[in-house]
Amino acid sequence: MQALDDASLEIRDGERLAVVGENGAGKTSLMNVLYGLYQPDRGEVRIGGEAVRLKSPKEALARGIGMVHQHFMLVPSLTVAENVVLGKEPARHGLFDLRAANEHVLATCRRFGFALDPEAPVESLSVGSQQKVEIVKALHRGARTLILDEPTAVLTPQEADELFAVARQLTAAGHTVIFISHKLKEVLAIATRIAVMRRGAVVADVAPGATSVKELAELMVRASPTPLSPSRVEREPPPGAQLPFSPSGAGGEPPPATRPPFSPSGVEGPSTSLRHARGERSSGSDQVEPRTPVLEVTDLTARGSRGRPALQGVSLTVAAGEIVGLAGVDGNGQRELAEVLTGLRPYDAGTFSLGGTVLCNPSPAALRQLGLAHVPEDRLKRAVVGPMSVEENVTLGRQHLPPFARGARIDFAGRRERAARLIADYDVRPPDPTARMVELSGGNQQKVVVARELDATPRLLVAVQPTRGLDVQAVAQVHARLRAERNRGCAVLVVSLDLDELLAVCDRLYVFFEGRVAGEIARARFDERFIGRLMLGARAETDTRD
Amino acid sequence: MTDVTLRARLVRPFQTALPSVLSVALALAVCFLAIVASQGSLWVAARAYAEMAWGGFGDLPKLFAGADASALTRPWGETASKTALLTLTGLSVAVAFSVGLFNIGAQGQMMVGALSAAVLGGKLALPWPLHVAVCLAGAALAGAAYAEIAAALKLERGVHEVISTIMLNWIAVSLVENWLVVGPLRAQASGDNSISGTDEILASAQLPRLLGETSRLHAGILVAAALAVAVWYWLARTRYGFESRAVGLGPEAARAAGIPVAARVYQAMALSGALAGVAGAVLVMGTEHKFPATLGAPYGFDGIAISLIGQNHPLGVLASAALFGALRAGGTRMQLLGVHKSFPELIQGLALLFVAARLVWETLLSRFRREPAASATVEVPRA
Repeated sequence: MQALDDASLEIRDGERLAVVGENGAGKTSLMNVLYGLYQPDRGEVRIGGEAVRLKSPKEALARGIGMVHQHFMLVPSLTVAENVVLGKEPARHGLFDLRAANEHVLATCRRFGFALDPEAPVESLSVGSQQKVEIVKALHRGARTLILDEPTAVLTPQEADELFAVARQLTAAGHTVIFISHKLKEVLAIATRIAVMRRGAVVADVAPGATSVKELAELMVRASPTPLSPSRVEREPPPGAQLPFSPSGAGGEPPPATRPPFSPSGVEGPSTSLRHARGERSSGSDQVEPRTPVLEVTDLTARGSRGRPALQGVSLTVAAGEIVGLAGVDGNGQRELAEVLTGLRPYDAGTFSLGGTVLCNPSPAALRQLGLAHVPEDRLKRAVVGPMSVEENVTLGRQHLPPFARGARIDFAGRRERAARLIADYDVRPPDPTARMVELSGGNQQKVVVARELDATPRLLVAVQPTRGLDVQAVAQVHARLRAERNRGCAVLVVSLDLDELLAVCDRLYVFFEGRVAGEIARARFDERFIGRLMLGARAETDTRD
Repeated sequence: MTDVTLRARLVRPFQTALPSVLSVALALAVCFLAIVASQGSLWVAARAYAEMAWGGFGDLPKLFAGADASALTRPWGETASKTALLTLTGLSVAVAFSVGLFNIGAQGQMMVGALSAAVLGGKLALPWPLHVAVCLAGAALAGAAYAEIAAALKLERGVHEVISTIMLNWIAVSLVENWLVVGPLRAQASGDNSISGTDEILASAQLPRLLGETSRLHAGILVAAALAVAVWYWLARTRYGFESRAVGLGPEAARAAGIPVAARVYQAMALSGALAGVAGAVLVMGTEHKFPATLGAPYGFDGIAISLIGQNHPLGVLASAALFGALRAGGTRMQLLGVHKSFPELIQGLALLFVAARLVWETLLSRFRREPAASATVEVPRA
C-alpha cells in the first residue's frame, strides 16, 4: 500500500503547525518519516537545507525532533523523573543517580513551566499530566521540534486548554510544535498554520485566520466517493449554510427518521452553538412521551481489574428511544460499568435489571437473550475474531440461532445470504463475505460489528468508543445508525472518552468521576465547560435535569 | 459457482496446504543430502529412497518380477497401522488446538487408553463386534477423563496445560508401565516362556485383519479415517465446532458473544483425550493384542508434529499421517543398504521445523512489508 504519494511539507521555526486529514490520509505516516520510523522510497528530509537520512527515532532525536505518540510510552510504576531520564540516565560511579535525575527533570519542568512533581509515580497522574511527562521527556532529550499525535483525544476540555498554553509557551521560546488532529475547531484555535492531507499528499496549506471548519472539512474529503461533512463539524456550520450532506450519503443507507435535536423531555434550553445538531427537520411523528426504562441500575458497586473499587454505588436508567452517554476522563469507572452491563465483569452489590427482568451477575449469553447488543471498545480483542471470515464474524452472538444455524449444524446458505445483505447495507469493503476480518480496515471492521449487533434488533445497545479510530465518513455513518436505533425504540448507551462525540449524539449524559455519577445532564443543558468541570470532580450544584 | 465461493473452495485450501507441501518437499531434499553425506554416495541415497518408497507404498518391482499380491499388501499393512496411530494422536492434538490448548499429553492419554483396552479386552467375555466397541469406548473414556484433569487445572486453577500435560505423561508412565503392567496386571507365565506385558486380549476384542494373514492391515485405519472425517464435520460444519474455533482464535470475543468458553474447552479437551485413548486401543487391539512392556514409539509426541504439518486440519492430519506412516514403515527397509532407519524421523522433524519456521518467515516478511511505500519530502528548519 502506498501510504504517502509525493507528500511535501515545509516546517518553519517557531510555528504551531496542524496536520489534518481523514484516517488513512497519511498524517501519521508522514510524521513517522520525519521521526525516523519509516524510510521514504523517494524524496528526502531536509533540516535547515541539509538533506538527512533519519534511520531511527534516535537519529531524529539527535537532530532535535521529538514525538509524543497517541499511546503513551511510559512505565506506570516508575516516577516522573525516572521515566524522563529512562535510556539516558545520569550516573555516578556507574550507578543510577536518582538525585541528579530529579534535579535535572525539575530544572526542565521549571524552564518550560510544567507543574510536575519529579518524584510522583506516573501511574498516580492524570492522563493530561502523563502527556506532559511525555512532552518533558522529549524536551529533556533536546527536542526543538515536537510532533504531537492526536494530543487532545484523551483530554478534558480544561486539560486541552492547558496543553494549548504549553504549546504557545514552547513556540514563544522558539520551539516548533506539530499537531496531528481530527478536531478542526481546536486546530483553528491553536495552530498558526494548517496543512491538509488527502490520500497521501499535502493538498492545502492554509492560515487559520483565512479558513473555516467547513472549508477544512471540504478540503479533507473532496473527491471522496460520497462527500460527507464530519459530524464534529456539523455542529457548527456557518450561519445559513446548506448542510453539505444527508445521512443517506453514508453508503446508501436509508435516512433515519428525524426527530428534534433537543432534549428528550422536549424542553427548549438556552440556545448554544452546541445544540445545533444535524439540522434535521422535526417530523413530530416520534414525540412519544417517555418512556419505558429498559436498563435500570441502582447502587452498583464493582471492582476493577486490580481489585480496586471501580464502581462505588452507581445508579442510572436508560429508557427506550433515547441515547444516553457516559462521559468522564479515562479510568473513572465508565469502562467497568460497560463491562458489568455486558456480563463481562461481576459486580459486588446493587441491582441490575434489563427490560424489567431483575438479574444477578448474568452471563453475556443471558443478557443477549434479553435483547442486549454490545459494540465493545477493543475491536480486535472483544468484538471480532480476526483470523475468521467476515461471514463467520457476522454470526458471533447468534451463532446458534437462525439464519446462522439449523439445530447443531451451521446454515451456510443462510449465513452467506445474511452476511452479503449486511455487507451491502453497510457498504463494507471489500464486499467479500469470505475475507478474513484482519484484512479489513478498522472502519470496515467496525461496520461489520455494528451491522452484526444491530441486525439482532436489540432492546439495549451498549456501545463503547464506537467511533474510535474511524475517519469522518465512518463516524458519520455510525452516528446515523445510533440515531436510527434510538428512533426505532432501542435504548442506547454510549460510552466515549470523546466529549464532542457524546455532545453530538446523546439526549442525556451521565458524567462519571471516581466510580460515581458526578452529574446527569439533559441535552438542553449541555455545556462543554460545565461538563468538563464535572469530569474533573466538581460537584453538580443543582440537578440540571428538567 | 460465484467468484467468491470458487476462491473459498479451491484457492484458499490450496494456499493453506501449500506451505506444508513445500516444507515436506524441502525436508525430503535435505534428508536426501544428509544420507548422501553420511554414506558418501549419491547412488546409495537414491536406492535408500527407492527402498523407502517400495516399503511404504507397496513393492512394485517385486510385483513385476512375479511375486504375489503380498508384495503390495504387506507394506500396506505396516503403513496403515502406523498411519492409524499417527492420525488419531494428530487429531487429538489438533482438536485441543482448536480451542487454543497445546495438548502435550496425548502420550499419557494414549497410555491409559491402551491399558483400558487391554484390561477390557482380556477380562471381559463379550461377543465379537460388541467387545470391540466396548474396548474402544472404554479407552476413549479413560483418555478423555485423563485429559479433563489438565482442562480442570487450567480452567479452575490457571495451571498452564503444557506443564500439566507433561507432568500427567510422567504420572501415566509411572502408574501404567512402571507399576500396573509389571505388577498387578502382569501376565501369568505359562510354561517356560517368560512373558512381558499384560495378558493377551480375547479374539473377540481384536480388530479384524482386512487382507488375510500375509498382511497386518487391520481395521484400525478405518476407525482412524472415520474419526478424522467426524472431527472435520464437527469442527467445520456444526455450531459447536464453530464456537470452539472462536474460543481458540479469539477467547475474549467469544466470551463477549456469549459463547460458554469453559464448556467448549472441557468439551474439546475431552474429545482430544478420547482420540488419544482410541489410539492406544488401536495399538493394543490391532497390532500388539496386549499392553506390551512399553508402549514403543512415542506416537503421542509424533501427533504434535503430524498436527502441525497438517495445519491442525483434520483432513490435513490424515494426509500427513498417511505420508509419514508410509515413510516410517518403508524407512526400516533402508537398513538393507546400511542406512539407519531413523532418517524418516529426521524428515518428519525437518518438515515440522520448516512448517514452524514458515511462521517466523511470515512474521519477518509481513513486518518488512508493513513499512509503507512512501515518497515524501519534509523540510524542517535547523533544529
